[in-house]
Amino acid sequence: MERRIRVVMAKLGLDIHWRGVLLVSQFLKDAGMEVIYIGNKFPEQIVEAAIEEDADVVGVSTLSGNHLTLGPKVVELLKAQGMETVKVFMGGVIPPNHIPILKGKGIHEVFGPDTPMQTIIDGIKTAILGTDPPTG
Amino acid sequence: MPGKTDKEACLFSEANVRKIETDYEDWHKNRLREEDRQLDGKYFTPSGIPVKLIYSPADIKDIRYSEDVGFSGQPPFVRGVYPNMYRGRLFTVRQLAGLGAPEDCNQRVKYLLKHGATGINILFDLPTIRGYDSDDPEAEGNVGYCGAAVDSIDDMDTFFADIDLGSISTSIVTHLPSTSLVIPGMYFGVAEKRGTPLQKLAGTCQNDFIMETCVGSAPEILPPPVSFKMQCDVIEWIVKHAPRWNPVSYNGYNLREAGTDAVTEVGVAIANAIATAEELINRGLKIDDFAPRMSFFWDLHNDFFEEIAKCRASRKVWYKLMTERFGARNENSMRMRFHVQTAGVTLTATEPLNNIVRSGIQGLAAVLGGCQSLHIDSYDEAYSAPTEEAALVSIRTQQIIQQETGVVNTVDPLAGSYYVESLTEEMTHRIFQFIQKIEDMGGLVTAVENGWLHREISKYNHTHQKQIETGERKVVGVNYMKAESEAACPIEVFEYPETYSRQKARLEKLRKTRNKEKVKSCLEELRAKCHSGDNLFPYCLEAVKNHATLGEIEEAFREEFGLWSFPLMG
Repeated sequence: MERRIRVVMAKLGLDIHWRGVLLVSQFLKDAGMEVIYIGNKFPEQIVEAAIEEDADVVGVSTLSGNHLTLGPKVVELLKAQGMETVKVFMGGVIPPNHIPILKGKGIHEVFGPDTPMQTIIDGIKTAILGTDPPTG
Repeated sequence: MPGKTDKEACLFSEANVRKIETDYEDWHKNRLREEDRQLDGKYFTPSGIPVKLIYSPADIKDIRYSEDVGFSGQPPFVRGVYPNMYRGRLFTVRQLAGLGAPEDCNQRVKYLLKHGATGINILFDLPTIRGYDSDDPEAEGNVGYCGAAVDSIDDMDTFFADIDLGSISTSIVTHLPSTSLVIPGMYFGVAEKRGTPLQKLAGTCQNDFIMETCVGSAPEILPPPVSFKMQCDVIEWIVKHAPRWNPVSYNGYNLREAGTDAVTEVGVAIANAIATAEELINRGLKIDDFAPRMSFFWDLHNDFFEEIAKCRASRKVWYKLMTERFGARNENSMRMRFHVQTAGVTLTATEPLNNIVRSGIQGLAAVLGGCQSLHIDSYDEAYSAPTEEAALVSIRTQQIIQQETGVVNTVDPLAGSYYVESLTEEMTHRIFQFIQKIEDMGGLVTAVENGWLHREISKYNHTHQKQIETGERKVVGVNYMKAESEAACPIEVFEYPETYSRQKARLEKLRKTRNKEKVKSCLEELRAKCHSGDNLFPYCLEAVKNHATLGEIEEAFREEFGLWSFPLMG
């Protein structure tokens, strides 16, 4: 039986644009993942939730410019807790020149506006199950 | 709805309509191919209104021109709120400005005014919108992004340095009622200090409890009844003291952006206005004391004709409510005035220059819909808050509509279109139905408290996204004619990373130099008034003038009123 991927989803810091994060959460659920949406949280609380929920994936959403300051912190804090296997994905309005910086700091993947839900689902599955999604 | 009995007032004679209906049947049967006929009933506007292949006088046979449409500047105001519309005064070019520290915004505001903006729309960073000072731990990472950081009355002074507050019209995008009790007070305080009387100030603050409790969810939210009471406090105080100021802008826009259709957008905003009117009347005001100063804020999306019909219908619904339900006498109470912003959610990160076209078409719809002021989104908004270059394209788009297209020369040019009139009637009907549904539920505050509106938003988004995923709804460059390579975008991003340290230093200095005792006593008095039922505006104003910060006042609210958990959908 395929293992159910556990995802903790959060809005980063004070960001108020919640349309995307809830939508992605619903689609991940529809795709068979276990999704725990924890609302607006700061990195410390996100990592706490990831530990508590035994998450495989942390998804953080931000559309308000705090991605560079708060995003990499999530990765660092996970590492400090010995949770480096947890993959951190980011979604939202992220300037293209910031994406390499974020990836350099350990964010696994960044999904911008227009990303098809299937791309997000496949991205998570590949990262966690180590298999390529079926094509076609 | 038109009565069946006064056929004589209708646009077309009964005999004519009968002939047209017969001709239509004939055309439908003999001219159309079977495959065309099979598409009957398969087209809808995004709000779910059926769209026919062709419209004719038969579709608007019940409309009585004088009662249902009329001329501009007269009941039912379908064709516009003023008789001369844009010949009298063009719609205000009101672009958003707000990034970084107050001095950065001051530069941007001057830039926009220099290039022909006729009003300003000032936007704050999230800590300010949510009521936190820049040096609050909760503000981390958000200071000066997406808007300006404003912590105290001194910041407001810097924001408007060298700008005469008596000669501009300023929209202060405060979103929440709790911050609308504070930030406009900073503006008023600055004006007073400079010798400009409050009576002279023109502008708007947003002040919408739906923004606090439904749209802008964040970690800490005041309970809906508290937020709603604050919304009414702001309106009550401002209509008495700053008569040219619009103390509320019922924000359909952000609700629509969060995820609703056009009917819900307008329905919720008007339901909120109804609830406010009832509360203010309970407080002893008369409808004509405040209704002339209520303003609205619409989101113009891609469906060109539905959006135009929405604008026309919303004016009619407002007129009917004001006269039939509230007995308004002053015509200004019956005129629904609204600001429009083009739809941020329709912008794509893919091929961003396409957004200029999307926003331009939405802006044109706003003007054909008779808006009073307009913000046209910038093409780079799927990447960051607009750069100067992109903001200029938006202003230029507005000026092209104003000066080159000729659409402003005549009033409501789409009136009489069989399709547009028919859509306007249908939208009117559906908005009334929606308002009735909210009232049957116990009113808007209840519909928010029990999570109904949140669930509606969630459902809408899920369905909408499914349609994009399956290709049923097409987005050019995204799921239709998909851009082949995701070439690096040439967009430069605006950044003010130094805002945090600047604001932090300012707050430190402010806290050392102000009269601490005075601040303390103002805040204590405000806390006491939180439980007395008094209007909180004057106490906030006094605190602000004595250099209490936004965060300190909001903290008092959070502690005195407690916090409410946003009913999230699973």
